[in-house]
Formats: sequence, structure tokens, C-alpha cells
Amino acid sequence: MSNPNAIVHIQDAHKVYPLGHTEVVALRGINLTIERGEFAAIAGPSGSGKTTLLNLIGCVDVATRGEVIVCGQATQTLSDTVLTRLRLLKLGFIFQSFNLVSVLDVFQNVEFPLLLQGKLSKAERKVLVESIIEKVGLTGQRGQRPAQLSGGQRQRVAVARALVTRPELVLADEPTANLDSETGERIIDLMRDLNHAEGTTFIFSTHDPKIMERADRLVHIADGRIVESTR
Amino acid sequence: MTTLLIALRNLIQGGRRTVLLAFALVLVTFLLIMLDGISAGLEATMIRSATTLSSGHVNIGGFYKVTAGQASPVVTEIPKLRALVAEKVEGVDFVIDRARGWARVVSETHSIWGALSGIDIDEERGLKDVVELLEGDFDALRADGTVMLFTGQAKRINAKLGDTLTLSAPTMGGVNNTVDVRVVAIARDVGFLSAINIFMPKNTVRQLYQMRDDASGAVHIYLKDESRAAEVSEALRPELAALDFRLMDVDPRPFWMKFETAAGEDWTGQKLDLTTWREEVSFLLWILTGFATLRWLLMTVIFVVIVVGIMNTLYISIRERTREIGTLRAIGMTRWGVRRLFLAEAILLGIGAGGIGALLGVATSLLVNAARIHIPMEAMQAIMMTDVVHLEVRGPDVALSILIITVVTAIAALLPANLAARLRPAGAIHHIG
Ligand SMILES: Nc1ncnc2c1ncn2[C@@H]1O[C@H](COP(=O)(O)OP(=O)(O)OP(=O)(O)O)[C@@H](O)[C@H]1O
Ligand SMILES: [Mg+2]
Repeated sequence: MSNPNAIVHIQDAHKVYPLGHTEVVALRGINLTIERGEFAAIAGPSGSGKTTLLNLIGCVDVATRGEVIVCGQATQTLSDTVLTRLRLLKLGFIFQSFNLVSVLDVFQNVEFPLLLQGKLSKAERKVLVESIIEKVGLTGQRGQRPAQLSGGQRQRVAVARALVTRPELVLADEPTANLDSETGERIIDLMRDLNHAEGTTFIFSTHDPKIMERADRLVHIADGRIVESTR
Repeated sequence: MTTLLIALRNLIQGGRRTVLLAFALVLVTFLLIMLDGISAGLEATMIRSATTLSSGHVNIGGFYKVTAGQASPVVTEIPKLRALVAEKVEGVDFVIDRARGWARVVSETHSIWGALSGIDIDEERGLKDVVELLEGDFDALRADGTVMLFTGQAKRINAKLGDTLTLSAPTMGGVNNTVDVRVVAIARDVGFLSAINIFMPKNTVRQLYQMRDDASGAVHIYLKDESRAAEVSEALRPELAALDFRLMDVDPRPFWMKFETAAGEDWTGQKLDLTTWREEVSFLLWILTGFATLRWLLMTVIFVVIVVGIMNTLYISIRERTREIGTLRAIGMTRWGVRRLFLAEAILLGIGAGGIGALLGVATSLLVNAARIHIPMEAMQAIMMTDVVHLEVRGPDVALSILIITVVTAIAALLPANLAARLRPAGAIHHIG
């Protein structure tokens, strides 16, 4: 890896999904470097490979061919256990449909990754979780279950959950697609603020031109290839 | 901790599905406890009844043969035998001897065959606890020429308290002899055993058979620890031989089944026969075996249903929660973590429903015992050895039932939990539930 400041380095990555007797080529030779502290958007039409790319970067899937290096680790050589650990310690996730644990309340959802890490005491967790809940503006809702919250509030919980472990990199696959445009913009602003304040790297995908404008790095993909990359 | 919380809340969230499954588990545990209670109650009643009515823990019985072809259930030199027992056998609770006979019992209108037990009512210990008198009283059996009948027997020969019956049997010499007896007590039935056992004073049996005063039917030894019976019986053989008593060959059948063997052998005079209570009740063991088999069959069927039910429910639950599983895997939960989540659900369900079922089972057993429910069918009464339903509740059995249910649910959950753990996170996250 030439660039010491790179958090993601992808070289000639291909992803092929088997589909019955044929196969679907979702990514065909991706070359991409994301630096620490970047606020990057991946844009492209439906089926262009945005989700597939984020899955590779997020270590929930590995490339069929080529190299994906995340936080200094070449993911295709790692076991499921090591990839899980990498996700737990270094990455944060925000999903299009929020994906909160429906039976846990706001506080418990945000606390969950810390429990999986098992590094902090109960008191330490409480301080950390409460401060991040305050940052996303949900202190009043800390005891409520996801079903009692609006879409925007749910996505705020998801943002808090993704950031509570102070990850190096946060991945968000269309975080605003299920929100109205005003709420969506506020979520992006929240992410942007945290990016500025904590220096956390964000990579998110979107269809929405207004959301793309907020990014300081824009990667356009089409048909599994990067067609444009601007800063 | 959070695993348990999630599991518990998911169970609650499961609503009707959880309730149905829990209900099935409660029912199975309840059934298990009841079946345990019945079989343990049966065993306890059977052993207690058998060891009071027709056997000691160890019995020194025997046959006396005047001629080679005819055997009488008589043992002479009783005082010498009892002295030997007192001197040589350790751990004895108490010793009695009873005269034995096999005679026709004749009332004014009917007659039946009965196994006579000649007792000394003052020497008897367990009898008064096991046998419940409905009419008359035990003390009246002190007088010669009296008899106690069980209700079933009294009904069959149409005899009432105060009636006179005639006992008729061939003496040792081969001549027929009769003795008149008055019914002084009528007792509640005690199953099979009370159908043939008829109690009367020892002297009355002696009179019928024209036996000497030192003769009786058997010395019954009751031990403090009934499980030592075989060992004690084994140790008695050489002691008896040393005093020049002749012994029949070892034969693990009840005494009453050895008449033909004894009569068919070519000897005369006295031979002793040693038995333990297990041997005496061996002909009843099929009841316990049959019941145990029935219980296992039933449990197997029910368990298969439960296992299928749990697996099905969990598979549905996993399909509905695929996205959640994917999410948890993405944010760093290990495969083990996912497996634990589903196992915890099953185990919580098992312990909870099993606990409730056990509680219901124990409560019902206690209620049933307190209510002294009468067994309506005579055949059932005979098999159960009692005419009221008795369910024996044993702590370890109850704990074991809950454990079995929990283990079965956990095992049923293994496969679905494994499937959940093996879901690929990338695919699971985007699953549309
Ligand atoms: N699990 C899969 N099996 C087979 N083909 C897949 C799978 N996932 C994605 N694909 C295919 O790979 C291609 C890229 O899909 P991907 O989901 O990455 O696109 P996307 O840019 O995220 O689209 P969208 O904007 O609709 O979310 C598509 O042709 C899609 O059909
Ligand atoms: Mg997508």
C-alpha cells in the first residue's frame, strides 16, 4: 500500500455472483483508495454495484478476484472469525432500513456493539452511550423501542450505534433512501458533523443528487466500473 | 445477559406462536410428572403391600412331605430357626412367622380358594398400617376360629361380619379336614394380593392341618435396609445347612409357584426354601415393566411432536429475523453469538414451560392424593394394588423432568440455530422479511 493515509485500498476488484447456471458480474475491476477522514459518496444507477462494493469494504463479503485492503488488512485472506472481529473493532454500519433490534430500546440498541466488544464496564458504557445519544438528539427517547420512533429518529439511533465504538470507518448503504428528503438531509448533516468532530471516515451510497452535494469525495459507478471520481 | 434479554423479549414478541409452543411443553412436562407419579406410586404401593401381605424382605419357607407325591407349605422347628436368625442375621428390623395354607373357603352360598396366612396379630407390625379395616377390629383376631376377609373376597362369597365360614383342606396325612371360622374383620382391598390372601390366627391354620405347635409356614425377616435382602438370603444358606436343615435348590420364583416342583421330587420330610421379596413379587413386575414401556412409547411420540414443533417455529422465526441476524453479524456478533441467541430462546422456553408444567403436575398430584379418588374399575384396582389413586411425587424426578424438557428443546433448537449462525451476513442484511 503506497499511501500511508489510506484506510481503504482496492485494486482490480471483481465480484461475481453465481445465479443458477449462469453468473452475474456485479463488479468488474474496481480501483479505489479512500483516505482517513474522508466523507465519501458512492453514486450510480440501480444495479450498478454500490451495495456490492460497500459489502466488500464492510468485510461482510469478499472479492472474487483482486485485492480489498481495509484498515491495513487484505480481506480475502481472512477467516470469518477474523473478519467479524475486524467489523466489531474497526467498522460501523448504517443501513437503508435502519435494522435496529426491535426488542431492545434506544439505549440498549446503542449499547449493543459495546457489549459485543466486552471491553468496558457497565458504568463506562452508560457514560459513553448517553453522550452519543445526546449528540444525535434522542435523550428524551432513550427508553423507547424502535417501533415507537419515526424513521428519522430510528436512523439517528443507527448512527449512534455505528459511532459508539469510535470506529475508524463507517459504512452507510443508502442511509437516506427510506426518509423524506428533509429528514435525509438532516441525517447526512449529522454524519457530516461527526466526521468533522471525530475525524471518522464515512463512505455512503446514494441516488439523491442533493445528498451527493454534501460529500467531499464523489465516486460514480456504472455497470460495475468506476466512471468518475472527484474531490 | 443481553442475549437472554433479547431471547426473552423475542419469545414475548412471538405471541401466539410462543404461547402454543409453551402450552405444548407445559402439557408434556405435566404428563411426564403425572406418569412418573403414577409409576412411582405404583411401585411404592406394590412393594409396601407385597412385603406386608405375603412376604418379608427375606423369607424362610419350606415344604413338608409325608409321602413323596404331596407337599405341604409347612416348616417345623420354628423356634430354632428364629433363634438362628436372631443370632446370625445383622440389620434386622423385626421378625415374624406365619402359618401357610391353601384351602377352600365355603360360605352358605359360595366358595373360593384362598391362600391362608396364619398370623399372631400382636406380633404383626406393618399389617395394621397397610390394611385398612372397614368393619370389625384387629384385636378380635386374637381368638382362635376367626378370620379377616378383604371386601372383594367377602363380596364374592357373599359373607358379612359375624358370618361363619368353613375352611376345607387336605391335612398332611392326605385326609380332608375342616375348621369353622367367624368373620371378625373386613378390610379394604389392596389390589391383586388381597384377592387370594386370607388372614386368620396361626392356631386356626395349625388346627386345619393338624400341625404341631412348633410348626408354621414361614419365618419372615424384615430388614432395616430392604436392598440387602439378596445378600442376607445368600448368607443364610450355609448357616442353615450347618444346623442340618435341608434346603431346596435355588429357584428365583415365588414360593407359591414351587408346589409342583416340590411334589414332583423324590424326597420326604422337611426341606426349606429361601426367597427374597423381589422373588415373591416377581410375577407382578410385568405391571411395572408394562407401565414403563407404555410411558416410553408415549413420551417418544410426544417428544417427536415437540421437536418438530420447535424446529418449525424456529425456522419460521429465523426467516422472519434474517435481516436482524445479518445486522448483528455485520456489527460484529460472532457465529457463536447468533447460535447462543436461538439456543437461549429454546432453553428459556424449556425451563419456563417445563417449570410451569412441573408445578402444575406436582400441584395436581398433591390434590389427587388429598382427594383420595376412588379407582372405578376393579381390574385397574387389582393392577394398581390399591383402590384409591396415589401419585408419588419425588423431588429428583420432578427436577429430572424439567431437565429432560429443557434438554430436548435445546437439542431441537440446535439445527435451526446452526442454520442462523451460517447465514451469510451480506445476503441476510438485505433480506426482505
Ligand atoms: N446475492 C446476489 N446474487 C446474485 N446477483 C446479485 C446479488 N446481489 C447483487 N446482485 C446483482 O449484482 C448487481 C449489482 O447489485 P447491487 O445490489 O450491488 O447494486 P446497487 O447499485 O446496490 O443497486 P440498488 O441501487 O438497486 O441498490 C445487480 O445486477 C444485482 O442483480
Ligand atoms: Mg443497493
